[in-house]
Amino acid sequence: MELNYEFMADTFFKLFHALPVTLSITFVALLAATPIAFLLALARIKKIKYLQLPIKLYISLVRGVPMIVQILVIYSLLPSLLNYLFKELNISYNIFDLNTIWYAYIIFTLSTCAMLTEVFRSALQSIDRGQLEAGYSVGMSTWRIYLRIIIPQALVVALPSLCNITVSIIKNTSLVFMMAVKDITAVGKIAASYGYNYIEAYIDVFVVYIIICSVVQILFNVLEKSFGRFRQRVLSN
Amino acid sequence: MLKVTNIKKAFKDNKVLKGVDIEVNKGDVVVILGVSGSGKTTLLRCINFLEKADSGQLDFDEQHIDYAKVTDKEINAIRKKTAFVFQNYNLFNNKTALENVTEGLIYGRNVPQSEAVSLAKKALDKVGLSERYDYYPSQLSGGQQQRVGIARAIAIEPEVILFDEPTSALDPELIGEVLGVIKKLAEEGKTMVIVTHEMQFAKEVATHAIFMDDGVIVEQGKPEKIFTNPEEERTRKFLRRILPESEYII
Repeated sequence: MELNYEFMADTFFKLFHALPVTLSITFVALLAATPIAFLLALARIKKIKYLQLPIKLYISLVRGVPMIVQILVIYSLLPSLLNYLFKELNISYNIFDLNTIWYAYIIFTLSTCAMLTEVFRSALQSIDRGQLEAGYSVGMSTWRIYLRIIIPQALVVALPSLCNITVSIIKNTSLVFMMAVKDITAVGKIAASYGYNYIEAYIDVFVVYIIICSVVQILFNVLEKSFGRFRQRVLSN
Repeated sequence: MLKVTNIKKAFKDNKVLKGVDIEVNKGDVVVILGVSGSGKTTLLRCINFLEKADSGQLDFDEQHIDYAKVTDKEINAIRKKTAFVFQNYNLFNNKTALENVTEGLIYGRNVPQSEAVSLAKKALDKVGLSERYDYYPSQLSGGQQQRVGIARAIAIEPEVILFDEPTSALDPELIGEVLGVIKKLAEEGKTMVIVTHEMQFAKEVATHAIFMDDGVIVEQGKPEKIFTNPEEERTRKFLRRILPESEYII
């Protein structure tokens, strides 16, 4: 067996052209899901009556269905649904012209939001209630205490889980080729199909994911060190 | 100055306070004694609304509050006049010693930043932590953490400081430094209400002693009297258990 190294090198750099697609899905999912997940987590902690059951259902739905099935269901359902809705409302926009990456944004935001809700909830609950009381005792308002005391500490607790979630989103974006979105995996597959260089292309894809995910993990380690300074027992300055 | 009348509080079916009255005047050091579960901590927490009492009245200076229908505005007004020192310190873990003190000044009382810093330094100096401004709670010993807790309380210049078993979580060798700070505050004439199990200390600092049991005040009065010649059998039993025989009957 002989590998086509020239093809491998070419493809390797070609894959990086698809990097923005993979990263944009990841970032959009994280950025859009974070505020919503935070509010849902607060609703869970404050035990707001009519939101408990819907939130729990939503979370177990996302947890219980494989990503690829979520993609298939929403990608086959949503466009037709929107098309029907637009017709009813006399909107002349043709939904089938829409770039399919938007569906990827929606699907990944929905699933990320469910995961983040649980992470934020457990992180916020891990901060001792005594600090809230201490804040009250010196006259601070609830939102001030949350903003300045509770949330900064909860975020540090949540960082390892956030790293896991980010890496898992990046890996899951490899499934968007099912929706004809040209991410890293899709570009690799297409390149391979011209001359049947599947092994070379897949090795390239393999390496690119490892590089991206390693960078993400290093970034999170740095974040945890710098934001978690208050947890270190010895001063480091 | 501060007067609580007929305060009642229950956690579900468990009646913790069954109608308690206390009065604190300016300069008083009121010590509340009693076994665990007698309601003394709950009483203290109800004074600044960390716990919401079911019924009763609170009079603070000219302000009159009915516990059954207290508003957020009234709660804030009381919290501005009081400070609380917790059993478990409850320091803000993501803030340095100095920030722990300035936080309440800046964000609780709208003191300008620079003034807050100088007030906080003064408070920390007073509790003997002038070398520890930039240390995080995780880098301080229990005694030092509690002293930051006391600095946080005195910096806001409250009319009353409430101490909830300030030394109960400390190792025996660290208790002294914290009690020393509280004694100093007593000598300065600060008004304080202290829940404690440290009998010797209580005897030394108190101007008024209260003995609680089972949600009511059993006996109160001058500390000399309560400690040496209590009238009630329950007080005697409690003291006999805690103090060595020779100490309580002179």
